[in-house]
Amino acid sequence: MTEPGFPISRRTVLRGAGAALALPWLEAMGPAPARAAAPDTASQPPVRMAVMFMPNGVHADSWTPEKEGRDFELSPTLEPLSSVKDKLLVLSNLWNQGSDFGDGHYVKTSGFLTCTTINKTLGIDLNCNGVSMDQLAVKQSGAPTPLPSLELGTAPVSTGVDTNVGYTRVYGSHISWSGPTNPLAREINPRLVFERLFRAGQPHTDAAQRDRLLLDSVLDDAKQLRGRLGVADRQRVDEYLQAVRSLEERLERATNSGQAAWQPRVPLDPEKKPPADIPRDFAEHVRLMLDMIALAFQSDTTRVSTFMFGNSVSNENFSFLDGVKGGHHSISHHQKEEDKLRQYQLISRWHVEQFAYLLNKLGEMKEGDGTVLDNSMVMFGSGLRDGNSHNPHNLPIVIGGRAGGRLATGQHLSFGKDTPLANLYVSLLEAFGTPVERFADSTGPLPGVLA
Amino acid sequence: MLRSRSVYLLTVLSLTAASLRADEPGRPPEPEAPAVSAAEAFDAPEFLTQYCLDCHQGIVAEAELDLAEFTSLEKIVAEPETWNKILTRVRNGEMPPLEAESTPTTELRVAAADWIETTLRQAACDDGISPGPAPLRRLNRSEYGATIRELLDIHVDAGQGLPVDGAGGEGFDNAAETLFISPIHAEKYLEAARSALGYAFSDPRARRRFLTAEPDEDTTPEEAARDVLDEFLPRAFRRPVDEGELDPYLALFRNAYERDQSYDVAMQFALEAVLISPHFLFRIEAPNPDSQQRLVGDFELASRLSYFLWGTMPDDELFRVAEQGKLQDEEVLQQQVIRMLGGESESDEDRGRRRRRRGNDNEEKVRQFAQSFIEQWLGTRELGRGFKPDESVGRYDSELEGGMKYEPVLFFQEIVTENLSLLNLLDSDFTYANRRLARHYRIRGEFREQPSRAELPEDSNRGGLLGMAGVLAVSSYPHRTSPVLRGKWVLETILGTPPPPPPPDVPELEEDHEGLDPQSLRERLEQHRSNPTCASCHSRIDPLGFGLENYDVLGRWRTEVDDQPIDSRGELPDGTTFEGPEGLKQVLLARKDQVVRNLTAKVLGYALGRGLTNEDYCTVDNIVDELKQNDYASHTLILGIVKSVPFRYKPGTDPDSAVAHTHPTRQEVSP
Repeated sequence: MTEPGFPISRRTVLRGAGAALALPWLEAMGPAPARAAAPDTASQPPVRMAVMFMPNGVHADSWTPEKEGRDFELSPTLEPLSSVKDKLLVLSNLWNQGSDFGDGHYVKTSGFLTCTTINKTLGIDLNCNGVSMDQLAVKQSGAPTPLPSLELGTAPVSTGVDTNVGYTRVYGSHISWSGPTNPLAREINPRLVFERLFRAGQPHTDAAQRDRLLLDSVLDDAKQLRGRLGVADRQRVDEYLQAVRSLEERLERATNSGQAAWQPRVPLDPEKKPPADIPRDFAEHVRLMLDMIALAFQSDTTRVSTFMFGNSVSNENFSFLDGVKGGHHSISHHQKEEDKLRQYQLISRWHVEQFAYLLNKLGEMKEGDGTVLDNSMVMFGSGLRDGNSHNPHNLPIVIGGRAGGRLATGQHLSFGKDTPLANLYVSLLEAFGTPVERFADSTGPLPGVLA
Repeated sequence: MLRSRSVYLLTVLSLTAASLRADEPGRPPEPEAPAVSAAEAFDAPEFLTQYCLDCHQGIVAEAELDLAEFTSLEKIVAEPETWNKILTRVRNGEMPPLEAESTPTTELRVAAADWIETTLRQAACDDGISPGPAPLRRLNRSEYGATIRELLDIHVDAGQGLPVDGAGGEGFDNAAETLFISPIHAEKYLEAARSALGYAFSDPRARRRFLTAEPDEDTTPEEAARDVLDEFLPRAFRRPVDEGELDPYLALFRNAYERDQSYDVAMQFALEAVLISPHFLFRIEAPNPDSQQRLVGDFELASRLSYFLWGTMPDDELFRVAEQGKLQDEEVLQQQVIRMLGGESESDEDRGRRRRRRGNDNEEKVRQFAQSFIEQWLGTRELGRGFKPDESVGRYDSELEGGMKYEPVLFFQEIVTENLSLLNLLDSDFTYANRRLARHYRIRGEFREQPSRAELPEDSNRGGLLGMAGVLAVSSYPHRTSPVLRGKWVLETILGTPPPPPPPDVPELEEDHEGLDPQSLRERLEQHRSNPTCASCHSRIDPLGFGLENYDVLGRWRTEVDDQPIDSRGELPDGTTFEGPEGLKQVLLARKDQVVRNLTAKVLGYALGRGLTNEDYCTVDNIVDELKQNDYASHTLILGIVKSVPFRYKPGTDPDSAVAHTHPTRQEVSP
């Protein structure tokens, strides 16, 4: 707890205390001074981190590879990753204790990257009681990229509240939490993502200066306003203040040409702009979103991204796959029936194919002596193992990419039963250059993961 | 010793409970079938002794919860927070724990939860109705788009690029508790303001609306800018503004004008600042420093009204009435509501003027309410989003999707504007359909691509929400219908009694087999119900769903599947039998007060933009009583809400009452 540049106890942060933490907490965290990940010159590419969340678990029996260590054999579901096998870390027996409560889906989605237990609520006191691993990385790295992080999905926030189990579906639609009460909204339209990347990466100095005047006026308004409000209402205004401030910081960096000035590693090509409308074809939609992550990483517009294939309980219709008929969630309730298991496996495998698509895409992007993939870590997984039993034991987790050589890829590592998933996050944060002593229920780093 | 004392005290409690039930004031006896008959006969002392006191008693009580202390109803209702927690845990089936030696049946759990809830709500009402919290909230995505449209008089949806909002409270995306703000919002708001203003400045008609002054030989640019802001700012902030509030925007104008010497550019710049100000983006009400609740201000009430019934900012007339300080006058309030709904209650002269001036403006605005409310209540917002049927279930094109999507919206809108009976929701002799949907329903008549009103003949097999293709589709799997999903939909959405989640480690109901014929599906479900654990819920769920089996995934009428005739009979746990949708309608009409009570709670939650509290159910009950006396006329519902304490008042800040106002229902707080 005595790391330099860490003004408040991290334990306090991770334990979370909802509203009490709101703005003062963020201020205290501040933009951390440039830390391990920050010294990036053209010769030393930065490390990037992405997480791909798949709803509804996997077909368990065809997931785990045969053999452990370096001689592992890809399982039928992981087989689409064969071209990047030496850049993989397949991890078995991790579990997420914090999500072993509540219901079968929502807690396992919101708690996937926080390793905490979320408050059960239809809305009031919405709280994940932590911060997600990706956002901790963002906060601690203080990287000077135009966007601190990029949250993407394919489906808008699910409609309504689930009175059946007593959770708002907001929980099932967010894996990134910048604070206990701050789920991060996701973008689902690839064109809008592209335009956002483009805008963020090419601020016109003059325009940026004008925008800063506007934002200053908002900040004045908001500060005056919050002084007149009750405690509970202040929190919302603070959220807005914080949002405006982070935009202002970005513009400030853009207008102050100096040491900290950010330059795209590879400029975005306007020709690569996706179509204006979200494709009706789900597979095409997913690939366009993954393209955006690849472009964001290649250009260095951001170094952290999360992607949700679908929301909790997604019943995305997978009939576009040969041999599959019906929705994802209903098929995941396979009741051990052979035919359903077969379809479930095809769906699991399809998700892995998309993961492979992103890895290969990053692998084709040259960077220094290697590729963007070599300097990335892309985690793929689900918050539950088997869709029929909904338990968060032995979660399906794979990492692709070597994080600049910091990850000991090319292995299947199996740990003792119920090793905390949070231990993996401790190791990943270390590899990202933003080490923490502890994360949620972690008991230490995960042995063998770091090179 | 300890036990015997408790039993004595609990006997006292039971006597008090009985007497409380006996003299419920002003509550006419319910002639209808009750939702859960077990709740009526619930014996609280017996339940506590049997299932709770073993652990929760004395100084060693689990979770430091000593239930033996609650020796009277007064003591229970004096600690609503504790009992709300207990309620949640019992409702969720977490308490009494399954692993205990003796566990109550699901019926008994439900009865216990209902008893606690009724007791708490009853007590809350006896204290007089308090307004409940009025949290600050931002405009949601659709409110944002509609407000910009109204403000600038443009016809683009400026909210299109904003992230979609999630829902909280009673299930709507205008709930304060889930309208959080992410960093992405700041840049999206800036972008949206810029593009909306860019559009408005280039449109001559829109310019006339908001650019009320331009510089000329008599007016300096700065004077013109001041004039524009003078008009624009109060509309954008939806309240009068102080002289000083203009200054920062004027300073921005000046700054930009000095740089560019362009009035348009500088004006747009200043207006951008207005549109990203929290005063525009948030619905802000002045905090009440008083310990007592008080009426909300006139302008605050104008916004509460307009965002409830129109989903957008107040119009000129609402502003005018607010400025006159008349809006809290019940008669004026009622006139305004009727006017807003498109009805007529103002003077002939006013009406004539309004008609000439505004035409069908309000109709579109009420549609915003109808669509936002009904699509979220019914779940039909999933049409065009998550609902993607298999090709095998039939042709699903965009015209059909449009017809399905707008049928419940236009139907509900007519009920609301024409002051029709809310019971039309259960059965009606009309609906709305476009050409494609009419063919789908095999309704004769002239239909076009735009949906229009359709009279339903006797044998149409339609009428009411349950005959609507959109409803039937979103309660189906993509490739086949499911009596379980539809039954659950009816319980949850129409009756407001969602079944509890299945117990952990119990496999999902095996209803799904490839090529399963309907007969064996029914057999399988019946077999499943022979397991008492499953039966406790599925005996309530499945029969309701079987009543709708004559509709396929897309809601088309069918009498057989795979050459097997459809069996749409259902038998409810209380022995009631019925057949098909017509029979199901009668079952629901026999529970009409429960249906209407659920709807009232939903509309109130929507109107208040938050989840309901115990106190709010007093308002719900009062409105339901009025509805019963007024043939369930929709205006009784809307006016009942608008005139209610929570809608017209803001709570006091007294610490004691603040506590009483913040405990929610159905919400978990860790012990």
